[in-house]
Amino acid sequence: METVLQLLISGVLLGGVYALGAMGLNLIFGVAKVVNFAHGEFLMIGMYAAYWLWKLTGLNPYAGAPVILVFGAAIGWIFYRCLIRYTIYKTEMTQVFATLGLSIVLQNFALMLFSADFLTVKVFTADWESIPFLGGYVSTTRLVSFLFAAVAMVLTLLFMKRTYTGRAIEAVSQDLSAARLVGIDVNKVLTVAFALGIGLTVLAGGVLVPSFYAFPTVGSSFVLISFVAVVLGGLGNVAGTVAGGLILGVIETLVGYLEPDLKEATHFVLLIVLLAFLPNGLFGVGGAEKEGLK
Amino acid sequence: MNLHRIDYRDGDALGAVLLVAIAIGLPFAVADRFYLNLLFLILLYGGLASAWNLLGGYAGQFSLGHTAFFGIGAYSSTLLYTMAGVSPWLGALGGMAISMALAFLISYPVFRLRGVFFAMATIAVGETVRIVLLWYRRIADIPYGISIDYKPGFGRMIFAEPRSYALMAGIFLLLVVGVCYAVSRSRAGYYLQALRDNEDAAQAVGIDLRRYKLIAFLISAAFTSLGGTLMAQYVLYIEPSTVFNTTISIDVALMSILGGIGTLWGPLLGAAVTMPLQEFLRDWLGSAGAGAHLVVYGALLVVIVMLLPQGIVGAWKDRSAKRRRHGGQHARG
Repeated sequence: METVLQLLISGVLLGGVYALGAMGLNLIFGVAKVVNFAHGEFLMIGMYAAYWLWKLTGLNPYAGAPVILVFGAAIGWIFYRCLIRYTIYKTEMTQVFATLGLSIVLQNFALMLFSADFLTVKVFTADWESIPFLGGYVSTTRLVSFLFAAVAMVLTLLFMKRTYTGRAIEAVSQDLSAARLVGIDVNKVLTVAFALGIGLTVLAGGVLVPSFYAFPTVGSSFVLISFVAVVLGGLGNVAGTVAGGLILGVIETLVGYLEPDLKEATHFVLLIVLLAFLPNGLFGVGGAEKEGLK
Repeated sequence: MNLHRIDYRDGDALGAVLLVAIAIGLPFAVADRFYLNLLFLILLYGGLASAWNLLGGYAGQFSLGHTAFFGIGAYSSTLLYTMAGVSPWLGALGGMAISMALAFLISYPVFRLRGVFFAMATIAVGETVRIVLLWYRRIADIPYGISIDYKPGFGRMIFAEPRSYALMAGIFLLLVVGVCYAVSRSRAGYYLQALRDNEDAAQAVGIDLRRYKLIAFLISAAFTSLGGTLMAQYVLYIEPSTVFNTTISIDVALMSILGGIGTLWGPLLGAAVTMPLQEFLRDWLGSAGAGAHLVVYGALLVVIVMLLPQGIVGAWKDRSAKRRRHGGQHARG
């Protein structure tokens, strides 16, 4: 019983990591309906950004989160303006390969700049690396990233539901031409969605660097996990994505306890089963995957 | 999807002669070791990309998981040879059978999906196979990397002459393109074209979607597996991270797209452009630091996909179609 509780707690905390990583993808893929296979590389950029921020100014990733967020938003803005703007009305295949190409560029650019070393930021001293929680110990960095996921979720939800821009993004997501017809500046709205989505992704990378190593190809292990979380939660559903991330974390931790070598496979098997038999996710709207991605 | 008709016209005989000249003639014409290696890679990847194209181009099922079949081919023949002494020629057949069985199994979930969801699910298939192999490796006590002893012999599929490998890859290419050609001219080929262009309409006129997609998938998987065996026998060393690598899936898809997706010559053309480009960039930018050549390669990929979404063959057809058109009918389907 004790073990199960411990496993559940660490699963939920790992899930917080996944949820945080998937939050930005939900905005871009779930809401804006743009395929982005370079998602993981933006996470990687965030990790390096946080590392260098810490190295150069001594600011740890948690305290430097606002800086990282702004930096990420700027990157998202550039990403949309320079690339996505031109692919968005083309075929899905073009979107897939343009973003895959970008991910090759970013991975190898990181390799050139930073080499393949594993980098991390130490935030807590040895005494504080783990803290007692519900009769066991949990990793402090995981707990903090979990909190970041929760805050990011609440702020994103508020933004999407309460602001004009947020609702305009939702409108563009539902019907692009109708949105344009009622006077929404689609290009501007999508620019904001990308700034926010990539900003969140880069921030997630920054917050994760105290608990995960940064290296050039770190993104590729996160990209499919993030897709699974987004699909599991239902495309475009912010709270759903978080729930999806948590479920993933718990399943991975449980499988990892039973058969450590197979835990990585859980996401992939889940993705296949999920897409095939439950394409609308747990909390998605019916037909969302067909309507959005044709 | 605005793609092109499956190729076939009066130039078929000429095309066949040209293809044989490339696949069989070139290995004899080239003498330099460097170029023979390049030729081997072009012919092998030309065949692999053609195999991908059967599913991705003709059937419109955009797989990014073909590395699973490539790796299965490489591992089946290598394990059977190193552990049981089975000739790689037979091992290749075993790998093809396993790959087809896997394709058959996963066809149930993945054929329910379209577009990018199909692509994601197939990436997941490739990764799952790799992880399961790594897990099995641990319990079955198989070393991480496996090398094959260099003992030339036809039965062992190991050759002293690089030329023989290039020739073998050429025959592989001929085989794949020949089958693609046969499929494209058969009833199944037309059904595939129909379901690619509009799945709902194809279903409405009574085409058994699953059946024809599955045919394309099985052939595609089998040939990809065979290509994996050939690669393993060429390098004589395999490990999970080299033969099960999403990069392979991306490369074969990319070559088809670059050359012209859904066309007979496109994949070969794509391989003939991509492979030398990679070698050239590696050579040219090798001193600029690890990864420099891939930065340029990735950037070129983005530009090409944006500028030539129909590939080289597609762009060429567009041009000649425009030239032929006199305000009358458009030559594109």
